[in-house]
Amino acid sequence: MQTAIQTWQLSKSYHGRPALQAMDLAVPADVVFGYLGPNGAGKTTTIRLLTGLLRPNGGRATVGGHDVVRDRERAQRLIGYLPGDFFGYPQLTAAAYLDYLGHLRGGPDRARIRALADRLDLDLSVRIGAMSHGTRQKVGIVQAFMNSPALLVLDEPTAGLDPLVQREFLTLVREARQDGQTVFLSSHNLYEVEAVADEVGILVRGSLAVVEAVDKLKAQAVRRLDLTFAGPPPVDVLHRVAAARQIAVSGNTVHLVVEGHTTELLSATAPYGIEQIVTHEPDLEDIFLSYYDTRK
Amino acid sequence: MRSVFVKALYDQRRSLLGWGIGLTLLVLLESALWPSIGNMPDLQAFLANYPEAMRELFNLEDFGTGTGFLNAELFSAMVPVLFLTYAIGRGARAIAGEEESGTLDVLLVTRVTTAGLLVEQAAALLAGLLALGTVLYAAILAGSALFGLEVGVLPPLSATLATVLLAFEFGCLALAVGAITGRRAVAIGVASAAAVAAYLLYVAGELVTSVESWQPLSPFTQAMSGGPIGAGFQVAYLAMPAVAVVLVAAAMPLFARRDIAVAH
Repeated sequence: MQTAIQTWQLSKSYHGRPALQAMDLAVPADVVFGYLGPNGAGKTTTIRLLTGLLRPNGGRATVGGHDVVRDRERAQRLIGYLPGDFFGYPQLTAAAYLDYLGHLRGGPDRARIRALADRLDLDLSVRIGAMSHGTRQKVGIVQAFMNSPALLVLDEPTAGLDPLVQREFLTLVREARQDGQTVFLSSHNLYEVEAVADEVGILVRGSLAVVEAVDKLKAQAVRRLDLTFAGPPPVDVLHRVAAARQIAVSGNTVHLVVEGHTTELLSATAPYGIEQIVTHEPDLEDIFLSYYDTRK
Repeated sequence: MRSVFVKALYDQRRSLLGWGIGLTLLVLLESALWPSIGNMPDLQAFLANYPEAMRELFNLEDFGTGTGFLNAELFSAMVPVLFLTYAIGRGARAIAGEEESGTLDVLLVTRVTTAGLLVEQAAALLAGLLALGTVLYAAILAGSALFGLEVGVLPPLSATLATVLLAFEFGCLALAVGAITGRRAVAIGVASAAAVAAYLLYVAGELVTSVESWQPLSPFTQAMSGGPIGAGFQVAYLAMPAVAVVLVAAAMPLFARRDIAVAH
C-alpha cells in the first residue's frame, strides 16, 4: 500500500449545501495523519466518504488503491473505523460485541481483544447499554484496533476519554504506525494531534486549507517570545522588525510574537543587551487559527 | 455469534418466546370455545341470521365444523394480524432500526456488504416466522386434539405455511423500505398501509363483483381463500415469497447507492 488514501476533487453536498469542496489529498502509507478542523468543517463528512458510508457528489477517493465507490467492499475490508458517534448494541456485553464484529472481519483475535481492553482498563463483561460515554468509547477504540487493519480511520477518537486513557490511546496510535499501519485521525484537539501526527491537514469550511508535515508547520509557525533586557527595551527597534507582532512591554520584559525565523529580531536587539529569552513552544492552535483567520 | 443472520435470530429470541406464548394461549383459548359452539343445537339457524356479506367473508357456512370455526375465529383476522405485526416490526428494525440507533456504521465497514445484509436479515426474518409458525401449528394440533376440532394433520400445516408466507412478504416490504429510506417509521407505515390495502382488496373482492377480477392480486387472497385450513397447498402461495424476493432484490441497488445517515 503505497498511498493509503488518495482523493481527487472529492466533493459532497447535502441538499445543495456544500460540506466538502473539491478536496485533493494524498496520505502516504505508514504515517499518522492528523485531520484538523473546527466543528462543522467537514471532517466527519470526509471520513464517511472514505469509509464508503456516503456517496460523493463529485470526484473520487481510493483507500489502499480501491475506489471507495466502485470497489467499496474491498476498501472497507482494509479499514478499522471508529465513528464520531460510536454506538454498540446496548444489550450485548463488550466481549460479545467485539467477538461478533471479529467474526464479521474474518475471525476474532481474543487474546488481542483482551490485551487492548486491559490497556484501556475496559471491563469486557459489562453490557454496552450500561456503560458511560467514555467507557463505550473504549469499546469503539478496541473494535477499531483489534483486527490490526491496514488503515485506521478514527473520528474524534479521544472524545470522552480521561487523560490517562488518552495517553494510552496515543501510545496505541504510535504502535500502529510502527507496525506499518496508517492512521487517519480527525480532531479538534490540537495537542493530541501534535503529539502523534507526522502530517497534518487543516480543513476549513469544507476546503483543505493546508497539508504539511508537523515539523515544517511548526517551523513556519508563529512563535511567542519573552525578551528581558538589561535596561529599558528598545521598543522603536522592535517595531521596525518585520516579523515581530503583538509587542507588549512590562518593565524590562517584552512579550511578542514572531512569525517564521527569529534571526532578524535577535540581531537587531542583541546590541541592547538581552538578559533572558523565553520561547514558548508553538502549537498547532496558533497555526490553525492563523489559517482560519486568513480564510475569513 | 458468527454472522448477521445468527445475531438477528439471537435478537429475536425473547420476542419470539413472548409471541409464541401469546399465540399458543390464543389458539388454545379459541379451541376451548369449540365444544360449546359446536354443540349449539340451532347453530346453523343462528348463522343464517348474519348478513350475507359476513357469511361469505368469514365462511360462516362452514362455522359448524372445527375447521370452519378456526378459519373464522383465528385466520380471518387475529392470526394474520399477529404475524404481520411481528414481521413488519422485525423487517423495519433490521436495517432502518440499526441505522437510527447508530450501529449500522461499524457493521458496514466490515466484510458485510449491503446486499449481504439484506439477504441475511430477510433469512433471519423468515427463520423467526417459521419458528412462530411451528408454534402456531403445534398449538392448533394440540387444541384440536384436546377439544375435538378434528382439523386433521395436513390442513393446518398448509394454513400455517400460508400465514408465514403472507407475513414474510410484508416483512420483506418493511425491510426493503427501511433499507431504501433508512427510516423505521416510514418502513412500518408503508408496509402496514400496504397490508391494509391488500386486506381491503381481498374483502372487497369477496363482496363486490366488479372487484373480483383484481382479488387474486391481494396476498390475503393468495394466502386465505378457501380456508386457509382445508384449502390445501395452493400454487398461489408461491406468489408471496416470489414478491418478497423481488422486493429485497429491488432494494439492493438503492441501499448500496444511498448515504448512510448518522444516528439521531
